[in-house]
Amino acid sequence: MKYITNPLFGVFLSLIVFLIGQWLFKKSKGFFLFQPLFVAMVLGIAVLIVLAKYFNVTTATIYTKAYKPGGDIIFWFITPATIAFAVPLYKRNDVVKKNWLVILLGLVFGTLISMALITLVAKAVGLDAVGIKSMLSQSATTAVAMPLTNAIGGNASVTAMACILNAVVIYALGKQLVKWFNLNSDPLGTGLGLGAAGHTIGSAFALELGSVQGATAAVAVVATALVDNLLVPVFAHLVGL
Amino acid sequence: MKKEKTKSAPILVQMFIYAAILFTAQIISDLMPKTFPVPTPVIGLVLLYVLLTFHVIKVEWVDSFGSALISLIGFMFVPSGISLAGNLKIMKAQGLQLIIVVIASTIILLVVTAYTTKFFSWVIEKITNNQLTVIDHKKVGGC
Repeated sequence: MKYITNPLFGVFLSLIVFLIGQWLFKKSKGFFLFQPLFVAMVLGIAVLIVLAKYFNVTTATIYTKAYKPGGDIIFWFITPATIAFAVPLYKRNDVVKKNWLVILLGLVFGTLISMALITLVAKAVGLDAVGIKSMLSQSATTAVAMPLTNAIGGNASVTAMACILNAVVIYALGKQLVKWFNLNSDPLGTGLGLGAAGHTIGSAFALELGSVQGATAAVAVVATALVDNLLVPVFAHLVGL
Repeated sequence: MKKEKTKSAPILVQMFIYAAILFTAQIISDLMPKTFPVPTPVIGLVLLYVLLTFHVIKVEWVDSFGSALISLIGFMFVPSGISLAGNLKIMKAQGLQLIIVVIASTIILLVVTAYTTKFFSWVIEKITNNQLTVIDHKKVGGC
């Protein structure tokens, strides 16, 4: 037990599972279920479950005691990395200045329509009211989405889980989705969509597609934080949740 | 775009700039009202963008370290993914439904936002084109 409560364990485990993911992804020539992040997540959780069985404690305990200290060190770097998106955004300042109205309208109405559709899907699968409320603020980053969910009476940890899975889905399926829905014909919209759906990970992926996509995705990350803050409570109220 | 000016600042200087922005953003984030939370990274992004736009910070002072950070983002999310291990209880209760809704939501957000934006681009282009043809035929595309 002593060795796995050292922060090094979390850092080590994260690195190993991610490297395995990268190796598998390369070996399988880019099979989408072998996206490094997804593999790392599944393997990492599996290791923690096994360790929990071995030490005869709950998985949640192993997670907080053994993994989290190291995991938090890596997790911390997401903040400066998010800030770093200001650079690709600045480099394509021309795009943003020229299209600010389209970007604003696209995000506001895109978010509203998405929220309506998400509510429909959630109702269709039979999620309860608390579950639906927890799904509404997904387009915002976790730090905005969680307090918002709390404010409208949802379950914040479900929202956090949703935001994480958003990133995993975009990371795993981003390429296919862009192809299937023929999104690349409009770089502006693709960037905004990726930023709204996949947050920081979406932005990193958008940047791989092109500088316009990368810049608008960064705009989406910032703007959805603000748009959701304003729209989610209103929407929840209107739908009567 | 001048080629000479692309010499990047030493890595420690770049780190210092990010740290300074992070720190300021943290303070501003704490000052935001509870009912309208704006997280530190979002404020930091806006702050750095504004400083770049007003040429307080030069892009080569933050570029290479920033690219390095962005290139590692997939890895940085590993702890978030694994953090689901702490929430396995919720997953057991409503897991399948939640996962279906989240996957659907991600696709909805991506596609709807993309196409809504495309639609508004088209509308605005139509409007400005009409105006331009009325006002001046030659000035189309001058931005």
